[in-house]
Amino acid sequence: MPTISFSYKDFEKLLGRKIPMDEFKDLVLLYAKAEVEDYDSKTAEIKLALDDTNLPYLWSVEGLARYFKGVFETEKGLTKFKVSSSKYDVIVDKSVEKVRPYIATFVASGKIDNYLLEQLIQFQEKFCEGYGRKRQKVSIGLYSSKKVKFPVHYKAAAPDSIKFVPLEMDKKILLSKVLELHPKGKQYGWIIKDFSAYPILVDSNNEVLSLVPIINSNFTGKLVVGDSELLFEATGTDEEAVNLAANIFAQNLYERGFKLQSITVHYNNKKVKSPHSFNEKIKIRQADVEVLTGLKLTHAQTKDLLERARYGVSDYTVSIPDYRKDILHVFDVIEDIAIMYGFNNIESAPLTNYTMGSPTKMNEFVDSVREIVLGLGFQEILSPILSNKAIIEEKMEVQDRGIVEISNPMSETYSAVRSWLTPIMMEVLSKNKHRDFPQKIFEQGLINVRKGQKIEDKEAIVLAISQTKTDFTEIKQCLDAIMNSLGVVSSVEPFDMGTFIKGRGGSIKVNGKAIGLIGEISPKVLSNWELEMPVTALEIDLSELKRIIS
Amino acid sequence: MKDIIAELHRLERAVLPVLQKCSSVEDIVKQSGMEKVEVLRALHWLKGKGLCEVKEDLTEIVELDKNGQLYKEKGLPEKRFLEAVKSKIALTSLMKRTNLSREEVNVSIGILKRNNWITVEKGKELFFEITKEGKGKLSKGFDEQVLLEKSFPLKLNEVDDKTFASLKKRSILKTGVKKAITATLTNEGKKIAGSSELKEKVVDRLTPEMIKTGKWQNLRSYNLEAPVPKVFFGKKQPYRRFLEEVRAKLIALGFKERDGPIVESEFWNMDALFMPQFHSARDIHDAYYVKEPEYATDLPRELVRKVKAVHEKGMPGSKGWRYEFDEKKTARLVLRSQDTSISPRTLASKELEVPGKYFQISRCFRYDVIDATHNADFDQIGGFVVAEGLNLRHLFGLLRMFAKEFCGTDEIKVVPSYFPFTEPSVGLYAKHPVIGWIELAGAGIFRPEMTKPLGVDKPVIAWGIGLGRVAMFKLGIKDIRQLYSHDLKYLRNAKHAYD
Repeated sequence: MPTISFSYKDFEKLLGRKIPMDEFKDLVLLYAKAEVEDYDSKTAEIKLALDDTNLPYLWSVEGLARYFKGVFETEKGLTKFKVSSSKYDVIVDKSVEKVRPYIATFVASGKIDNYLLEQLIQFQEKFCEGYGRKRQKVSIGLYSSKKVKFPVHYKAAAPDSIKFVPLEMDKKILLSKVLELHPKGKQYGWIIKDFSAYPILVDSNNEVLSLVPIINSNFTGKLVVGDSELLFEATGTDEEAVNLAANIFAQNLYERGFKLQSITVHYNNKKVKSPHSFNEKIKIRQADVEVLTGLKLTHAQTKDLLERARYGVSDYTVSIPDYRKDILHVFDVIEDIAIMYGFNNIESAPLTNYTMGSPTKMNEFVDSVREIVLGLGFQEILSPILSNKAIIEEKMEVQDRGIVEISNPMSETYSAVRSWLTPIMMEVLSKNKHRDFPQKIFEQGLINVRKGQKIEDKEAIVLAISQTKTDFTEIKQCLDAIMNSLGVVSSVEPFDMGTFIKGRGGSIKVNGKAIGLIGEISPKVLSNWELEMPVTALEIDLSELKRIIS
Repeated sequence: MKDIIAELHRLERAVLPVLQKCSSVEDIVKQSGMEKVEVLRALHWLKGKGLCEVKEDLTEIVELDKNGQLYKEKGLPEKRFLEAVKSKIALTSLMKRTNLSREEVNVSIGILKRNNWITVEKGKELFFEITKEGKGKLSKGFDEQVLLEKSFPLKLNEVDDKTFASLKKRSILKTGVKKAITATLTNEGKKIAGSSELKEKVVDRLTPEMIKTGKWQNLRSYNLEAPVPKVFFGKKQPYRRFLEEVRAKLIALGFKERDGPIVESEFWNMDALFMPQFHSARDIHDAYYVKEPEYATDLPRELVRKVKAVHEKGMPGSKGWRYEFDEKKTARLVLRSQDTSISPRTLASKELEVPGKYFQISRCFRYDVIDATHNADFDQIGGFVVAEGLNLRHLFGLLRMFAKEFCGTDEIKVVPSYFPFTEPSVGLYAKHPVIGWIELAGAGIFRPEMTKPLGVDKPVIAWGIGLGRVAMFKLGIKDIRQLYSHDLKYLRNAKHAYD
């Protein structure tokens, strides 16, 4: 979710009217899927968090102002930037086809002051990080076009064949070195590092403009306050997204009074004028509006709402602005109708269909077992499902408990899904050594057990008793109480594992199937957990038990 | 007086007469033959009834300090030192033989030289030799060692000041305080202690034998106000109890519960929801990936084909996402990052009922740093409603109902929102009577590109409610980690939360 800052005064100027901040806060929530995070009334700087990750034009003050002109009906319908043709060319070499095939570019002249420069860079960054997927899909470069000698060549060059001075550095280094040494190279190098040649932009003076999508050159690729002509360029792997970046930038600059000039891009097999207008249209049926929103609107109302949302409308054909590429289905357009109608004006309707509620069969069973254990006087515990191998196996003196491990854990503490619950009870007891005894605790919850290439989700329950006199008899009494209440005949067969004292740990069986473990915890395990009080425990696989008895 | 006697406990009855002759607890214990704890308990009760006064005097005593206990067992360092220098010996071998620390050696040399029990020779290193006086000392023995052998604590006057001062400096002895408890009868106590009624045999506990024989007279009265020991009982975990209430409410509202696996393929977790594989929420660092096995082997092939087709080429009425769908990626196993992963499973299943209302309360996992507002796992509550003719107005109606049921309020704000799998998407803010405005729910109507491939052509309202803040408020906790608290004190004392 992108967050942007801008001057609220600038917003009001672009909008052409004043709105009290309190009102604005409600308006952005209601119309722009945005929330004011911060507002400094002294400097008029506002911080806005935007919810819609698929609508990048709203991530700029110009885009927001344009949209709100529609909300306030001061300007409606489709708006398009004007662009004149230039003699400039960008020649795309075949060598970028496999690396990063597309480029969109134009030139804009106007006054670049400090604030505008900040805004341009902010939008560039937000767009490339979010919509551009950390520059992989799209990256944007801005240059002082007067320093560039056209035509510009977009091509791929061997990492050790070319040197240039990247931004914030003072000497020429090889492209490969940029990836190694420059902070941006370290951050974004992964995007191109595996290719045999890296994409670059070079002008006719053989001056490198940029190592795409990493860093611009210190000479041409540095836009500064006072520059009067900027060269925009977006490259990427998705032609549509690259063009969208150019269209949003062009529209924003146009509305700031910049004069735009197109550039001809020569691909291997085609020639296109950039920026490229999508001229996208979609058909809308009045019935669809009612189906989705429940609103009974006239065609005139629909047209009006669409125009306020800045679409063009002619009969039932809706023209989509060139700075939008989020419309896949007519429902996307109808959502905008509903938003412009005002969610606060839409009356809610009750759900009238009769349906019967019910818990899952598994949870019904699980709850009946919990009820028995609560009746036995046990305190219920609820733990995170994530744990780690040291807890689940090592400290329990067992191996191969079928743990599902995480390949990218955030921390070692939570690096695996628990595969049984007894260790979790030991963890709880070890944290409560100074609390009153006896300690009788239980937990019911999900575990995951991996068997080869299969992972099983299971519901399980564990009971643990810690006190001076606890023994096998006591814990087996609990097992009997549970099984008798469920009407199940179970037996305990000796089973040796490191967790339990030899001869005092067993496998719980029902109908010959092992469904759990019971026993006195071995002193070795107790000392692993730094426990000084005897512990007995029993654990039952409830999924398996339910399967057997139902 | 009779009433007071009637209420007296067996222990009180035993102690009262003894108090006529003795006052210190030690003496009472000796005289009565009772345990010390029993005497103390009886005195405490008698004091409460105004029958005796209890005085606690603190007297200073001498105790062993940390070195004291050690030297009591091993011997004083100077003694061990002297014993080791029977013949000329170098410092290093002496240290090896005696196991003394550098500091202990220094202290010992000081003492032994001052008393002229050893001589010290400086060469490449120090050499020591025992003197005649030293040999005499060895056979005579060390007074301090004898002192340490005594049974501690000692009274202050049992140790002379000079010895105490020097041993205290070496952390061998220290002063402590001893509590001496004495009790004396009050006037009323004296009367009762001498009363003959006190000697009458009273009975504490009613036994089956007494009931059978009818001999149950003389059951003494209890002090009903006396505190009793705590009992630990079978108790539900407070947060789970809260979730149970939510679940019961949803069932009462006509929702059917469903569940799904924790380890989920990207297909069900994301792709079946029409979230493009290039979506920013699908970066490697937004989900936990399973180490082994890496890929699901049980994906429904036909469904994968249909979902892939819609992602790549769309369908009538939709352009689709237009990219190359990666069939390997769709099988990649992750820990489910959202509970919506369960919805497509239900929608595609043969058991789906239309009209139908469904919900799940499920543990989900997101790649986040754990702090007071983020857990490693968290519970999501969500579901969907499917029926002919559902639209945005019904969605608003559903949200209004949730605000009422789970937040106790009619004051709501419904605003546009964004989820990749719903269109329109809606956010619900509700004004909780105490907490104020909270973000209570997210909802929307599943995109046709999502429901069609799953075989559903009716509108489906998807919803999720976030009750974390309401739960924390109800349970009176500030740190989200406490929802899964392992602290027995908290769990045993947690109040049952009601509306």
